[in-house]
Amino acid sequence: MSTQSIRSRPLDGLKVCDATWYGAGPIATRALANLGADVIRIETEKRPDGLRIAQPKPDGEESLNQSGYYNNFNAEKRSITIDLTTERGHELGIELVKWADVFATNMTARAIRQIGMTWENVQEANPGIIGLYEPMQGMTGPHSEFQGFGALLSAICGVNYLAGNENEPPIGVGTNYTDYVINPIHAAVAVMAAVRHKRRTGEGQLIDMSQLESSVSGMAGALFAWDNGQITYERLGNRVAYAAPHGAYLANETGDRPDHWVAIACMTDFQWAALSAVMEQPELADDARFNTLRDRKNNENELDEIVGGWVSRFKAPDAMNKLQSASVPAGMVQKASEVLQDPHLAAREFYAYPEHTEAGKRAYDGPGFRLSETPHEIRGPAPLLGEHTWEICSDVLGMDSGEIGQLMAEQILY
Amino acid sequence: MVGALDDIRVLDLSEPLGHYAGYLLANLGADVVKLEPPHGDDSRLWAPFLPDLDQPESSLQFMLLNVGKRGVTLDIYSETGRKVFLQLLAEFDVLLQSWTPQQMETLGLDQATLRELFPDLINASVTGWGLDGPYASFAYSDMVSLAMAGVMNLSGFEEGPPTQLPDQQGFHCASINLAAGVVAAILVREASGIAQDVEVSMHESLLMAEETAMQSADIRGIDRERTGAAPGLQVIKLPGMGLYSAQDGWVYAMAAGIAGSGFNGLLALMDLLNDSIADDLREEPYASVMAEFSNSAAAFRLMGDPEKMKEVSGVFAQVDELVTDFFRKYPKEKLYVEGQKLRLLIGTINGPQELSESEQLNDRDWFRTINDSGRGRELRYPGPPWQLKATPAVLRHPAPLLGQHNEEIFSAIGLGKSDIMQMSENGVI
Repeated sequence: MSTQSIRSRPLDGLKVCDATWYGAGPIATRALANLGADVIRIETEKRPDGLRIAQPKPDGEESLNQSGYYNNFNAEKRSITIDLTTERGHELGIELVKWADVFATNMTARAIRQIGMTWENVQEANPGIIGLYEPMQGMTGPHSEFQGFGALLSAICGVNYLAGNENEPPIGVGTNYTDYVINPIHAAVAVMAAVRHKRRTGEGQLIDMSQLESSVSGMAGALFAWDNGQITYERLGNRVAYAAPHGAYLANETGDRPDHWVAIACMTDFQWAALSAVMEQPELADDARFNTLRDRKNNENELDEIVGGWVSRFKAPDAMNKLQSASVPAGMVQKASEVLQDPHLAAREFYAYPEHTEAGKRAYDGPGFRLSETPHEIRGPAPLLGEHTWEICSDVLGMDSGEIGQLMAEQILY
Repeated sequence: MVGALDDIRVLDLSEPLGHYAGYLLANLGADVVKLEPPHGDDSRLWAPFLPDLDQPESSLQFMLLNVGKRGVTLDIYSETGRKVFLQLLAEFDVLLQSWTPQQMETLGLDQATLRELFPDLINASVTGWGLDGPYASFAYSDMVSLAMAGVMNLSGFEEGPPTQLPDQQGFHCASINLAAGVVAAILVREASGIAQDVEVSMHESLLMAEETAMQSADIRGIDRERTGAAPGLQVIKLPGMGLYSAQDGWVYAMAAGIAGSGFNGLLALMDLLNDSIADDLREEPYASVMAEFSNSAAAFRLMGDPEKMKEVSGVFAQVDELVTDFFRKYPKEKLYVEGQKLRLLIGTINGPQELSESEQLNDRDWFRTINDSGRGRELRYPGPPWQLKATPAVLRHPAPLLGQHNEEIFSAIGLGKSDIMQMSENGVI
């Protein structure tokens, strides 16, 4: 690790003024930080990021520095606490805008106005800056002031409509899904594209990133089919048009892990023949009910019964390994604790465990992509609230200790 | 104004899990060429299909995720095909591929070999499980990745089976990360001259989507489970949170005080619609309990305090019944628009038709129309995921027909008409 930790990274030297909060914004700037950018998050104690308050924390813990939800999304950033709603605080915020190459926020238009960080203000202070504005539905249009979290956006953008079973309500997928990969990593791509343009031409730009547009773009199949063929979509549970069998099947429950499911998917006739052989029913591959994908789709209930019957005889890891050794796509439905112990992820050293002053060594998700020469990796923990206020005021903003102390006393810096 | 990647050339050999990455790079202005085997990409045979058109040109998924690219066919596993492929690759900045380690070995094109042959190439790999580790040779599917990544375990009803996410979210998350890796690698190549390999494992690309499940297991030793329609972060059902029936469909509300106007916003919406349920909710025993938990700090703290939750759960259930009665009486669009104007966090459950007609998306001119002359019709495409104001999105070509640009692209690398015809006769293209 010691040689690795001195290797340069893709965004070394890039300066990011980060006024994001919750999920979709902070994960985008976290990716930039793990790629080497110097990301300074502006926070306040008066109105902290809700995730600093949220669970999970150790039992009985009330500290704003212990939330695993917050910490995982903010690895390697620096934190300065400034009350941007005060006159001097706002001036300091604008100084950070002048320092930065990128200004990022996912706040609603209303909150942006409250802290005085509209695109007009930001661009006026720093004409060459890249502004990432990531409100729920974009910066223009009749719904530009509407607000919500990922779970609400999942309703609006189609996740809920498309997920689940036909005869059951559209319950969604159990999380604020769009916040975690789709929106933040789209945003990271957009910022890096804008960085390239800036390096080539010197020109900054506004990125008006509607989380609605970004989310729909990432699941547009049903919309595209409706628009160009008036094809309607019904919720199909775990089934898909392009594969059968395709489902989650309950494994043998008598072990120490009840409720263990195995996901199995056969996209090709070859995979179906291999599955039949593993089930020791090779005659099924020639069974007229199951010959082609169309046959298997037409007789999917019977198919599911056969596959489910076989899976129920085995423990989930055994079923998975038998199937995978015959090249049938199969995997256990893992719980988070099992994912943390997943031998494959362990061998690939996916999780990082940076030391955090208050929270100790906790797991952080590794990067979603890897680079062979200039690594994308987590080199440090999330910041304590205001951990870097003093050093940023002194080193970045050039303030003397007298003024810093004074502003702290006035709770403009806190 | 031109795209941010207008001088970048991308050769896209990826399987369907990488198609969206090539689509994103094309949107940024890159010249993306989709290289398919002579019989076509797998997804050309996947339903649903464009009406009144035959396969392999009618798959809507193929068209959606390959629009903006040109297309060639080539059997890279044949001797001639491999030679032509290497000749072609020399013209490109970026290779997108989804070869497993075994396929690389068969082709004799592992990362080290390609690096030696093409020192300046950005070689970007997207596979189900990554290129090393005990599962590197495992077969993959979108749903299998969702399962192994812990994401599927959170989706569905508590008692029912874990439920997949819609429209190949594993493929999309892998592709978005692949595009990010490619753009990062382009920045490095330009700054320092170093070209490098990008690697995406679909499995890993999904792990952030476990939300707090990983941290909950790590910090508290507790596995989050499926919670049905209730937002999964809750320990019990908070009133005004989650899915409700409206008069003509469904709404999703988050009125329990995490942000926005919270429960008071919900009462204000009831007042606006002259609904007397607001008066009931302003009486005891409801008023004091809801007053206490209608700010975000209190609501979050409550979620971490199961004892207190139990204490108030009876009142919560009664309040939720009244809230349910309220939502059921009004059209979803009215609840959404009027509620949001009051800063209430509420949305409608939208299907494809609602999105197609969305006032917001259409006001922003998000959709794009492209004349697909090869398929003989105008097609309406979704817009890009971002609006880069100085470098707007590019949509240069309809999705390629099978082998549509063979002649154009192969002749540009010096192959004569007779070479191309011979490759065609031998089934190489």
